[in-house]
Parts: sequence; C-alpha cells; structure tokens
Amino acid sequence: MSTFLEPADPAPTAAERLHIAGLHSPSDAVLSVRDLNVSFNSENGAVHAVRGVNFDLMPGKTLGIVGESGSGKSVTSLAIMGLLPTTAQISGSVRLKGKELLGLSDKAMCAYRGNDIAMVFQDPLSSLTPVYTVGTQITEALTIHNPGMSKAAKETRAVELLAMVGIPSPRNRLRAFPHEFSGGMRQRVMIAIAIANDPRVLIADEPTTALDVTIQAQVLEVLHKAQEETGAAVVMITHDLGVVAGIADDIMVMYAGKPVETGSVDDIYYDPRMPYTMGLLGAVPRVDVAEKSSLVPIDGIPPNLLHTPTGCSFAPRCPLVTDACLDGEPSLNPVPGANYHQAACIKSGSLGADVDVHDIFSAPPVPASRFDLMPRAERATVLELKDVRKHFPLTKGALLKRRIGTVKAVDGLSFDIREGECFSIVGESGSGKTTTLLEIMEFHKDQDGEVLIGGISNKQAADARTKSAMRREMQMVFQDPTGALDPRFTVYEVLAEPLQNAGLSKPDIKKRIMELMKLVGLQPDHVNRFPNQFSGGQRQRVGIARALAVNPKLVVLDEPVSALDVSVQAGVINLLDKLRAELGLSYLMVAHDLSVVRHISNRVAVMYLGKIVEIGEVDRVFDNPRHPYTRALLSAIPVPDPQFERTRERIILQGDLPSPLDAPKGCNFATRCPVFAALPAAKQEQCLTLEPPLGPVQPSRAVQVVETGPVPVPDQQFACFFPDGELDEHMLVVHETAEPHAP
Amino acid sequence: MTNLNAIDPAAVAQDAHLESADVVIAKSTIIFRRFMRNKTAVAGLAIFLGLTLFSFVGGFFTPWDKETLDPFSIGMPPSAEHFLGTSQAGIDLYAMTVEGTRISILIGLVVGLVSVLVAAVYGCTMAYFGGKVDKVMLFVLEALIMMPALLVVAVATSGGGDGLKKNLPSWLLLIIVLLVFSWMGTARLIRSMSMSLMQRDFVKAAQYMGVPPPRIVWRHLVPNIGSLLVLDITRGVTGAILAEVAFSFIGIGIKVPDVSLGVLIGGATSQVQTFPWMFWVPLTVMFLLTGSLAMMNDGLRDAFDPSSSSVGRAKKNSAEKKSK
Repeated sequence: MSTFLEPADPAPTAAERLHIAGLHSPSDAVLSVRDLNVSFNSENGAVHAVRGVNFDLMPGKTLGIVGESGSGKSVTSLAIMGLLPTTAQISGSVRLKGKELLGLSDKAMCAYRGNDIAMVFQDPLSSLTPVYTVGTQITEALTIHNPGMSKAAKETRAVELLAMVGIPSPRNRLRAFPHEFSGGMRQRVMIAIAIANDPRVLIADEPTTALDVTIQAQVLEVLHKAQEETGAAVVMITHDLGVVAGIADDIMVMYAGKPVETGSVDDIYYDPRMPYTMGLLGAVPRVDVAEKSSLVPIDGIPPNLLHTPTGCSFAPRCPLVTDACLDGEPSLNPVPGANYHQAACIKSGSLGADVDVHDIFSAPPVPASRFDLMPRAERATVLELKDVRKHFPLTKGALLKRRIGTVKAVDGLSFDIREGECFSIVGESGSGKTTTLLEIMEFHKDQDGEVLIGGISNKQAADARTKSAMRREMQMVFQDPTGALDPRFTVYEVLAEPLQNAGLSKPDIKKRIMELMKLVGLQPDHVNRFPNQFSGGQRQRVGIARALAVNPKLVVLDEPVSALDVSVQAGVINLLDKLRAELGLSYLMVAHDLSVVRHISNRVAVMYLGKIVEIGEVDRVFDNPRHPYTRALLSAIPVPDPQFERTRERIILQGDLPSPLDAPKGCNFATRCPVFAALPAAKQEQCLTLEPPLGPVQPSRAVQVVETGPVPVPDQQFACFFPDGELDEHMLVVHETAEPHAP
Repeated sequence: MTNLNAIDPAAVAQDAHLESADVVIAKSTIIFRRFMRNKTAVAGLAIFLGLTLFSFVGGFFTPWDKETLDPFSIGMPPSAEHFLGTSQAGIDLYAMTVEGTRISILIGLVVGLVSVLVAAVYGCTMAYFGGKVDKVMLFVLEALIMMPALLVVAVATSGGGDGLKKNLPSWLLLIIVLLVFSWMGTARLIRSMSMSLMQRDFVKAAQYMGVPPPRIVWRHLVPNIGSLLVLDITRGVTGAILAEVAFSFIGIGIKVPDVSLGVLIGGATSQVQTFPWMFWVPLTVMFLLTGSLAMMNDGLRDAFDPSSSSVGRAKKNSAEKKSK
C-alpha cells in the first residue's frame, strides 16, 4: 500500500493533532500534508476553500485528487506550492521530506519550487513565455537550481529532457519558440521543465483537460514515463474520473473543501462508500457500454463555503439523508473491513458494492420518443447537407496579395438528419466541426454545396421572410453557458427576446416563458434573476429554454455539456434526452467527449481534416469501428474502470493533426495512421496517391451465407482502403506492468 | 415526468439561501462598496464636489466680481478686504478664481461627457457595420488624429475665427474645438471592444435568433461597454481641464474678459516674484481639481474591474472595524 491517509480526529486541538500526525507520519513519505486549511476573502465574507486536508505521499506513487470545480483541489495544490495570493489565509502543515513548507517566505520557497517540487499547469498555451525559445526556458529551470552547471551540460540535459517527453529531433527543436509547437507538444515541454531537476513531487493540475483525446493519451503516456524515469511522486488533480483510473494508485475525493473519501483506486471505483462518490461514478457516461440507461444526476449545487456546515456538507444533495446526517460534520473514518479505505459518511458501513447507484439517486427512466419505432427512412428530413465545402484562401504579401494555398476547413460534407434523431459530429479540434456548424447557421447564399433546412435551400434565403422562417426551424445551444447569456439581461428578458422577435403579444410571451421554465426544470419564480445568480447547469438550462422558445424542429448543440461539472452534466444530458423524446426534436451535436456522444446520439460522423472518415449508427461505429482513426480515437478515451484501464490496449497516435494547409494528397490520415505504418510499400503507395471514398460496410460473409435474399446494408460508411490491416505495434501501448492492487 | 421537475429539498434550501440576500449582491452595491473601500478615491470625490460647490456659491462671499477694478488696492497681497489679494490691475483674485474654476469644470465636464458619447456612437457603428463603412470611418478618425490640434485651436480662437468669435464666448468656442479633437482615442478603444463583444456567444445567439442588428447594438453592445464609458468620462474630464489650462497658458484658449484657471496661471507666470499669490493660488486649485479626478479614477477602476484585488481588503477592513 502506498499512501497512508490519517483520519482527522476531531477531539484533540489542532496543535495536538499536528503533533500526533508528525510522530506517526511514516518517515519515508516525501510529502505529508496535515490539516491544511485555506480561506479567502470575498465581498460576502471569508470563504473556506480548503478545510482540513490530510495525506501522505510515498515516493514513486500517484495520488489522484478528484472533485468538481470549487471543491478545493486546485487551491490545495497551490497552497502546497506556496503560490496562493498573499491575501489567502493558510494554516496547517505541509512537510516535504520532513521540512515544513508553510510559512516560508516566497524567496525561501524558490529553493524548493522547480527543484524538489514541481508543477504542470492546465493550460499549456499560456504557461510558456512566447518570447523565449523552448531551450532557454528549459535551461532557465536548470540554471536557477544548479548555478555551477556548465553551458554544454545544460544543453545536453535539455536535449535529453525533450527526448524523454517524446519530442522528435530534440536538438533542433531547442531553438524553436512556443508558438511553433502545438498544444500537446507545449504540454510535453512543460512536463520536461517540471522534471528538469528530478523533483521528488510532481503536481499536475488538470494536465490534459485542455487537450484533445488522442493528445491526452500521448501526454498521459509521457507523464507515466516521466514518473518512471525520475521516481517522483505525482499528485494528479482532475475532475475526470476516467483519467485517474489508469494511472493513480490512490484516490482522494474532495467535496466542499474536504476530503470525503480516500482509498486505493480499486476501493474507490469498485466499492465506493460515500454517496457523493457513488453519484459521481454513476454520472459519467461510459463509452464502452451500449446499453441505454439514464445517467445519475446529483440534484442541487455544492454548498456555499461562506458558512461552516453544521451537518454533512453533502446532506442537502444526498438522497439517503436522515436527521443524523445533519448533526455534526462526519470525519473520515475507516470503512469496516478495509485497511486504508476511509469515508466521511455515517452510513459507509451499510453502503456496500451491491447497492445500485441508480436506485439511490432515483435516475429517471429512459425516455422513449414516438419516432424511435418508426424506421429511419420513413421519417421526414429536417436538415440536409449536400457536398458543403468551406475553403479559406491563404494569402501572402501586403500590397499585392498572392494566393499561396488553401485551407480546406470543410471539404465535401454530405449528411442528413431525420425527425427525432440525434446526429453527432466528433473529431479533434481543427477537424472542421465548428466550421460545419457555422456554415449551417449562417445561410450564406453563395456557398459551395447546399444546405437544406426543413426543405428550404440556403440558395433561396434571399429575403428576410424566408430567412426568419428558416431561423425558426433551427436554434442553437452554445458551449459556454456563461458567455451565451447577456450578463445584463434577466432570465425573463433572455427568453423574451426570441419571442418578441417572432411577434408574440405580451401576455403570450409571459405564458410561453412560464411553460419553458417548467419544461427545462427551472422554477418559474426564477425569471427575474440574472444569469450570474445561477449555477452552470441552470444557466445551460436557460440556454436550452431560449433555443426551444420558438418551437424549432432542430436544435444545434455546440459542445452542450463540456463546460459543466460531471454531476451537473448528467442532469443536462438527461434533460436533452427527455426533450428529444417529448417534443420530437432533432439534434445536431458537436462534441469531443465520445462518452457523451455515445450516450445521447443515434448516429455519429467522425471527422478528420474537414472530411467525414466514418459515419453511421452510433452503436455500430463505436462497437465495430472500421476506420483506423475511429479505432484510435475510441482507444484513447479513458474509461472510469481501473481494471479495464490497466489491461487495455491503447493506440497512441504519433504527432498532431497536420495543418490543413499541407494536407496530404491521398488519404488525409496517412501521416498518423497505425495501419499505414505497418503496410507493405506497394499498398502504402495507394494510400498516398488515391483518396479513399466513403463506402458502405459490406455485411460479413457469415451473414451473407445465413441470410437468404438481399441482405440489408448496415448503416455505417467509412473511407479507408485497408480497414482490416494490421496495426503497427510501435503505436500500441499496454500497461501490463501496472501495480497489482488488492483485488 | 421525470424527477427533473421534482422540487428537491436541496434546491429549496439553496433558494432560501439566495433569497436571504447574503449570497447575491447587486452589482451596483458591489461597485459602490469597492469604491468606498478606496479611501483615496473617496477623498478625491469629496475634493471634487467641494470645488464644484465652491465655484458656484463662492461668489456670494465677496462683494467683488471678476471685472470690477479696485483702484485703492492694486497688486495687494491677501487681506481682509480681498481674501486672496488683487491683480496688477486691481481685480479681486478670489472672484477670478471662483469664476475660473467654474469655467474649467464646465469645460471639463462638457468635453468629457460629450466626447465619450460621440466616441461610443461612432465606435459602435464602426464595429457593427464593419467592411467598407468601417474603413471610411476609420480613415476619417485617423485623419483627425493626425491633424495638428494645437494649430487649429490657435486659428479658431485668435486669427481666423473672427466671425465665430463675435457670436460665441471664447469658452464655448474652446469647448467645440476641444470636442472635435478629443474623442478619437476613445472611439478606437470602443470599436475594438465592441468588435470583441460581437464575437461573444450572446451576440451570436441573438443573430441566430434573427434579432435585427440595430437592436443588437442597442440592447447587447452598449450596456456591456458601460463600465468602460464611466471610466473614460473621468479620464476625459481630466484631459479636457488640462488641455484648457495648457491652451490658455500659451495664450490661445480662453480670452480675456473670460477667465479660467489656465488664463490666471498663464498671466501670472511673469510675476511669480512680485505677485506670488497670483500664480500659486490658481495653480493649487488646478492641482486639486485634476488631482482629485485622478484619485477618483483609481477608485473607479478598482470598483469596475472584476479582477481587482479590492476583495482582498474586504475582510481585513471589517476585522479592523470590529477590533476598534
């Protein structure tokens, strides 16, 4: 067992507790945190962001800190690093190899930061200085802590570091500037800087949240390797239960500034004893499960940390709450029958592995749409795209603009959406998903290709009346619920805007708004509030209500849940599912989270560099992916299941999405394709010169033999010459060596 | 129905919480509190209000006015008869300072307010229409920036503008000329701010709902640059007062018999040795005026800037109060 988490005994005073902790803390822990408390000032009073965090971190082990936004996980890490603003009040003890870090001056902390303890931040785009080369920034970290190191030695070490994090031709790349690297490469450089001085502790604060899934898989791999090479202990902070399942040894779940459950990764995932942990696990859609069941929404929002909770902080949202829960905040206590597994719940003893989370949280039944039983071909078409293209000319020169190339953001897209159907487009950033949405929403008259909305072509949308008729058929829900609502409008004004525009009278508007509020599960008396008085999930509900105001047939969803916390996300997904069934809506969704896509969609299209590489019914595409890119994408998604993660075969794609400017001539994907890499030269030639067309999947021979008569062609098409080709083994990664845990 | 619509105790509890109003604080309250927390800014506001009051009612405390000569006391230092002394010609300095302060504040406020208003309309229009309209309007703006303002002021107020001068008092003429040359910087700033607002999702949402463009500008763009406008008004007022003083100082702004702080300072520079009060009194008033505005500006920035560190002092201040 790696990390040892001490119960916070409420009886002795803080000083005594620290004393006891100091005596009993295992002497070989690199980092031990005791009773860490942080509070900030706000206009409303002091906010207690972290309230009593305790943990010990052993060398070479990984502790995952999981929690929603506002649970205090980032503040904990910043407090350890001594990076909080001076206005924060910090108390407790943080010991690095037995030396106390809290209370050290900023200057004294500099001796530790970047040397014994290093950090990788969330946003790689802003954590490198744009005016210095990458080499300078790595050697800077070396110079500060090793003043005696020679210049040549520093450069050798920098090259070594870049090679370690997997940057090709590291010697040349030393002289490159950050803007010449992609996001994933920059995060690798950040990791290289962090491990430059062989730190004992590496804190990674959401290191992959800003990255695409395929890049996320690469970066997690690099982190894993860096940890193996340096033997550092890692604190991994994340909101994604899938990310930590594969790499953490221990997990600490935080809620309202307090750890509510700690234990080994298997304990937490297979035997959660705190209702919040159970809810979190149930709220995550699974990419590897086809069976349709509603997600578990955790009602309500986290408590306000202005006031010290008098009872369990989760009690207001907990379905199992009893009067005993409101009587004093429970401390972390060992779970009966387990060694290191602790939970802060008075019922942890009775919540075994056999309790179904769907029963506890009363997940809604799966809604059924009246269209579900109708065959797809018989339903009316709501939206149709015919060979839509969007090419941006790339020009050079100030006075005389020469055209030096074309960026093919969207290149010949055709698909249709039927009534009552959810169609999703997935792909990495830069694949042209958003451009496709814009092309649909903007109604350009002079567009390449054609967009038909409810049977009206965009070519006819010349006058305002046709346009407004088309607008009424289709509405949009935006990714960021905060940005999509005017901060100066009340909810009433927000919802009234489209209705006024549609020419409704005042009493009608009022009636409709009340209907809408009810429809999306908001209380009608909230109409006079401003968006900033709502939580993220509620804001997104307002955004959905606004889109539904004019009764559209099709709702365009641009990453509708990616800005929301896991527990809130589940509620919004369930709402979308319910609305589709009850109102017979169609959705066009763009998302990068494939688990969400699998959960909510009927059909899916996978895009790569402006083209659809695979399209079809969601279960067919996800269970039986034919295109190598789809296969890689699916294998890169972390699954919240530690056993599965440990033994899983992962396809790690090499490199990044090529710039659409120098898109390959033949198959777009050839530069990164794991199948292509393993093909003989003659076949490679075909991939490089010819563009594979989108073709239907042929039913397997077995099916043809069994069935008599014409076999229905399955709803799945893909664009690849060699879908059954062998995968290049260099691109496959399996972590069989991962720590065996207690079963 | 699913449990999505069920009224759950958590939401009710949260409601009670929100209703009790210690969670939601109106934005105006926050801005007011933050401003009041900056003691310098409050002092600035007090000084500015005091000076404004002084410029309007100060005249009632003395029997003299800015035009009456006192042949018995020429170039006298401050005395009971003349609170701040008299000029070389025997005019009461107190009366002139009151008058000059009023003219300076008037010029400052009018130029500050109107130029920001012009800038807001011009900038928003430019950003909203874009394309050719933007290019033409931007060209006009650049041309005005490049025009030598000093020369135009000199010509308009002295030599070339004879016709104008007959019909208008010199302070009004100066206001007009200052206005023409003071709004461009703000207009460019507002243009770029509105352009970034146009990219925000809520503006896009309104467009996709088919809301007509002028309504988008009026309902979504203008309110959202409001805090910038407030800041720019105080800055514009300071700028205008300083410009008036500078122009009058070199003799091309306000003309006698109109009097302003700049005229007083300019007229007294050669007599610092002989009549020091003639120089130091208007200079002190001018410093108080612009200084108080600068102090206020700092507090306003604190109040409107969401990322300000003003919050950090919230608790400490109240804690101090309690300990007292």
